[in-house]
Amino acid sequence: MGSRLQLFRLKKPFETERSNKLFLRALRENCAYHYTHCPEYKQILDEARFAPEDLKEYADIARIPPIPTLFFKRHHVYSMPRRRTLIRATSSGTSGQFSDIRFDTGGLWAGLWMVLTVAKQRRLLSPRPCHYIVMGYRPHRSNKTAIAKTAYGYTLFAPALSRTFALKYADGKYSPDLDGIVNAIVKHSRSRFPTRFIGFPAYTWFVMKRMEERGISVKLPEHSIIMLGGGWKQFYREQVDKREFYEMAERILGVPEDHIVEAFGAAEHPILYCDCPHHHFHVPVYSRVIIRDVHTLEPVENGKVGLVNLLTPMVKATPIQSIMTDDLGILHDASECPCGIPAPWLEIIGRVGLKDIKTCAAGAGDILTAAVAETDKEGKA
Amino acid sequence: MILANGTVYETSEQNRLLDTLEQEIDRTRATLTLDPETVIRAVSVLRQRVLDGAFRDLIASFLTDSPDHYIQLAADFMDGDSLRYRMAREFGKEFAAEEHVTPPYGVSGATVRFMPLGTLFHIAAGNMDGLPAFSVLEGLLTGNVNVLKLPQADNGLTVEIFRQLIAIEPTLAPFIYVFDTPSSDVTAMRRMAEMSDGIVVWGGDGAVSAVRALAPTGAKLIEWGHKLGFAYISGYENKEAELQALADHILESRQLLCSSCQTVYLDTERMDDVRAFCREFLPYLDQAARNYPIREVGAVAEMTLRRYTERLERAIGGQDANDGRETFRGNTVSLTACPDSELELSYMYGNPLVKRLPQKDLLPTLRRAKGTLQTAGLLCPPDRRAALSDLLARAGVDRIMRAGHMSVTFCGEAHDGEYPLRRYTRVVNMED
Repeated sequence: MGSRLQLFRLKKPFETERSNKLFLRALRENCAYHYTHCPEYKQILDEARFAPEDLKEYADIARIPPIPTLFFKRHHVYSMPRRRTLIRATSSGTSGQFSDIRFDTGGLWAGLWMVLTVAKQRRLLSPRPCHYIVMGYRPHRSNKTAIAKTAYGYTLFAPALSRTFALKYADGKYSPDLDGIVNAIVKHSRSRFPTRFIGFPAYTWFVMKRMEERGISVKLPEHSIIMLGGGWKQFYREQVDKREFYEMAERILGVPEDHIVEAFGAAEHPILYCDCPHHHFHVPVYSRVIIRDVHTLEPVENGKVGLVNLLTPMVKATPIQSIMTDDLGILHDASECPCGIPAPWLEIIGRVGLKDIKTCAAGAGDILTAAVAETDKEGKA
Repeated sequence: MILANGTVYETSEQNRLLDTLEQEIDRTRATLTLDPETVIRAVSVLRQRVLDGAFRDLIASFLTDSPDHYIQLAADFMDGDSLRYRMAREFGKEFAAEEHVTPPYGVSGATVRFMPLGTLFHIAAGNMDGLPAFSVLEGLLTGNVNVLKLPQADNGLTVEIFRQLIAIEPTLAPFIYVFDTPSSDVTAMRRMAEMSDGIVVWGGDGAVSAVRALAPTGAKLIEWGHKLGFAYISGYENKEAELQALADHILESRQLLCSSCQTVYLDTERMDDVRAFCREFLPYLDQAARNYPIREVGAVAEMTLRRYTERLERAIGGQDANDGRETFRGNTVSLTACPDSELELSYMYGNPLVKRLPQKDLLPTLRRAKGTLQTAGLLCPPDRRAALSDLLARAGVDRIMRAGHMSVTFCGEAHDGEYPLRRYTRVVNMED
């Protein structure tokens, strides 16, 4: 069994530090693979005077040049011919640009182990049938976004009695159907079987708001779960305080806080991050997080804000082993969470951006306009 | 929110108001005259309210730093004596005072006087705070009727300023119309443009060309575009103090202003000098970063990511990943030694570019950047200041300042090479 599969078959998903050696080995193999099979990746490593053999000690993983998600949006680069890649996932498009990440069979196999292990740990796997309310897209052949696929994937954790989608596809575009969702919730609240919510937190919030306005509150059956994921996107400005969200879920839907599970992943880093009972995102064995200084891109110590660099040896088809997101985050020591999980946890605090800057320097205004337009479009994608 | 002739209306009333606006303005222009002294007196009263903290919360809501500095700048601008000084500077005589002339040929006698352009339509890009109000104040000083399209980011400050100004001096009401029309409502903007004699636009190339597209033929376009500042170093008067002043200016202004230093030019042909300067200047820049710490983490991160991505893109394009450039890193700042000499935007937030520009190449190189030239910070020995200032001015630079004063404004100074109040007026000749 290769190092990658060994890593993804580990039984304890948060014994992260103990898996460092294995992670390093898997990453080295992965790095060597991309270096040999992806000419652009080789050029990038060569320019940075870095070779896969330089991964000697665990600390060396920080030396792999991270590839920004912006790069994957502008350049579609692969380490495998198309016929050998199994599926592709695209991230939400920004101004017509989107990353096109392809997956190989081995990577998907590893991913399956990961999802099962993490879901089991968070008690999401259940033989009890349930109704699903998906706060996202109904899968459609025109929609290859990772989020649509992931959301759909989550509806496989427990047998589905029904699936209701918040974003309906009609006349070539998606639009939200909040009232349809409210009606489904009311109907499901009378069912013997639990309901599971999946998808964009902001939509869940809007649905609860709509119910509150209309004076509707329900008590969903026991074992109902709210699974949040997909990011806040354009709702950053309306970003609700988490506490308020939990309080509202209890009041409007009758779902207690410990039945709210938040998860995130990205096309460029397809690792399932699932929160702990204290709603912290501990780094699972499959992934590593390096927070980098916003000026120098050098790694910073835990507790400091910086750009979020994510690493994983999961995928061979696309060189996404070390990617730099456009999120700002903090990595906290494991000891800063009372849940007992021995892995550090990642807190996303915002996004890079020029939205609030004021400038009259020639050209800077145009960068600003473009950046703001990208953010806005991304939100609408 | 809309403010028209002293009354506040809902945004939804826009088109109804526009239907009768031209008639209303025509009536004002045919019968009323706005005396600058009336405006100055009202602004002085408003200034005192600003100093007393009346707008403090509104001002603070769009600033990351303390509003005190900003309030002081506004107070300087609004001071009655400053405004009178400005008027005198720009018009050379009392505005609206008639002057009688006896020209050598043509007619035996005529009267000459400044008159308002008529109706000014102000379009301020949203990214400079308070700007929309200042633009309209300049229009009022010169007696114009002012139609202002608010930037999207306006937080209510502009309408509040004019509501109070009109309360202080009700005769100003028919000269002020403020609309919160979004830029996407081109139809409404075109209607405003069509009833205007002058269109004042503040913003980058994108904003300016959008306005050009909707301006009717015959309207005077008054464009205050975005500019690029630079420092020119050809020796020193007091080296340490000047370098520190330049570094402080770079960090304090975040390199975000028209007048901010983006590129540091050295009077040399040798790249070795450029690199040596970077090594020498870096500690000053580090010190400045401690004096003026940068808190805009998201913006800095965005610029760093862009810069890094461009580097990777050059790498896969088979080009030199550094584009022939060499970066010298400080703690949170950097200097990039570049082999070319073009005037260019830096990565801002304490990351200037350093380039060669020997005196003999100065004029031909800078002349090519004519659309963006504005401020130069000149560092040189005292005995060469006059000659170098002259050379920079000949190349098209409008403001030649000392290193630390690149973004300092003074009362009565020209704006991008012109007297702004003059641009909002016309000269009328009347034969005896």
